[in-house]
Amino acid sequence: MLGKRKKKISKKLIAVLIVLVVVIILVIFSFTLKGNRKLSHVESFLRDALVYVERVVMSPFNFVSDKFKEYNELKDVREENDILKTSIERADSLESENMELRRQLEKLKEELNIDYTLTDYEYLNATVVSRNIGYWYNTITIDKGTYNGVDKDMIVINAKGLIGKVIRTTTFTSDVRLITTSDTNNKISVNISNGDYNIYGVINGYDYKSNLLEVEGISNTLSVSIGDFVYTSGLGGIFPSGILIGQVTEIGTDSYDLGKIIKVKPAADFSDINFVSILKRKRVAE
Amino acid sequence: MIIIIIYLIISFLLDSFMSNIFPSMLNSSSFLATIYSLISLVIIYPYFENEKKYFGLAIIMGLLFDILYTSTLLFNLLLFLGAAIVIKILNKIFPINILTVNGISLIVIISYHLLAFIILGMASGISYHFILLLRIISSSILMTIIYTSISYLLFNLIFKKFNLKQIK
Repeated sequence: MLGKRKKKISKKLIAVLIVLVVVIILVIFSFTLKGNRKLSHVESFLRDALVYVERVVMSPFNFVSDKFKEYNELKDVREENDILKTSIERADSLESENMELRRQLEKLKEELNIDYTLTDYEYLNATVVSRNIGYWYNTITIDKGTYNGVDKDMIVINAKGLIGKVIRTTTFTSDVRLITTSDTNNKISVNISNGDYNIYGVINGYDYKSNLLEVEGISNTLSVSIGDFVYTSGLGGIFPSGILIGQVTEIGTDSYDLGKIIKVKPAADFSDINFVSILKRKRVAE
Repeated sequence: MIIIIIYLIISFLLDSFMSNIFPSMLNSSSFLATIYSLISLVIIYPYFENEKKYFGLAIIMGLLFDILYTSTLLFNLLLFLGAAIVIKILNKIFPINILTVNGISLIVIISYHLLAFIILGMASGISYHFILLLRIISSSILMTIIYTSISYLLFNLIFKKFNLKQIK
């Protein structure tokens, strides 16, 4: 009788223990899986070492692929040369126009009391060394780290538009979280430009079914058209204003019919990112 | 043992190299992407007499995967250890041949993604859609079969050449 009871108790105890262990593990994971966790020195050192090993091993493969690319580029070189010649002829007038615009921008910034625009950032170019290993983290690793002046929360773009922001750095590498994430902590304030005026909203996630970004917080009374460009608004402090995110492809309304839900096709091709630029704020001479 | 260690290192590095050749992002999965380190655990199991050493290697692989690739702590360590236990159980149930080894690899890869989907959804606050899980699993199948088959045949060839035998 007692033996049976003991057996029953021990089974219950085991079940409770299992639940307890699962809960403890989940609590631990909620800390260790945080995107903004700072890496220890050992972790940083090992990651830097791996990138070097990877560079050495990948160099012959990169050499061969570069040669193929060079060959393909050479085929179109004459046509490109003609285009470049006409561009050079226009370069002088563009330069003087650029100087005038820069002067006007500085004046307007002073009058409107704006701290930073895209012209206050310098571009640090980086190469992607690995992409989203383990599938679920939606990050890429680039070959620039704190040694090159990269810091957490810096913005990463490529020639087509916004890519993401730096979430972690080691001495020689950085992890970039892409904007194509359903992380609700990763909200980006945007403005939709339809020519005459700007409409402000927030990127609230990513729809994996349609592969489109979702913008919310736009009143139903405002007019947005398919094809309008979506830029960062600069509100919120992390992302500077004026970086292209994508184009409006779908317009819908929320469940209460009060606000618009706009789907945006990202300008950047996230499956083909090889080189990126990190935006670093220019140091102001004192 | 040296052959096994070299194979594990190659598989581990392949995870990083192949991510550049066949990038698989959450919004666009490549059909030639898988987790090579996990497959290597399936391939090496029959060659281990001392299971403690096998589980030790699985823990080390998981820890390195955490530190070097995903910047997480304990997460992959536990998943790799879980995968090693599943591999042990399945190896006891099924006879070892190219078909069953491929089957075990697929089970391990699917279990890894399923657990990652559940745990990351619960613990990290990021909500992933079930369609994403299906997409990632389906995109892993082809490369899992290719890498498992190549590794299995290569291991058989090497072990025959050096007159070594499978322990299990």
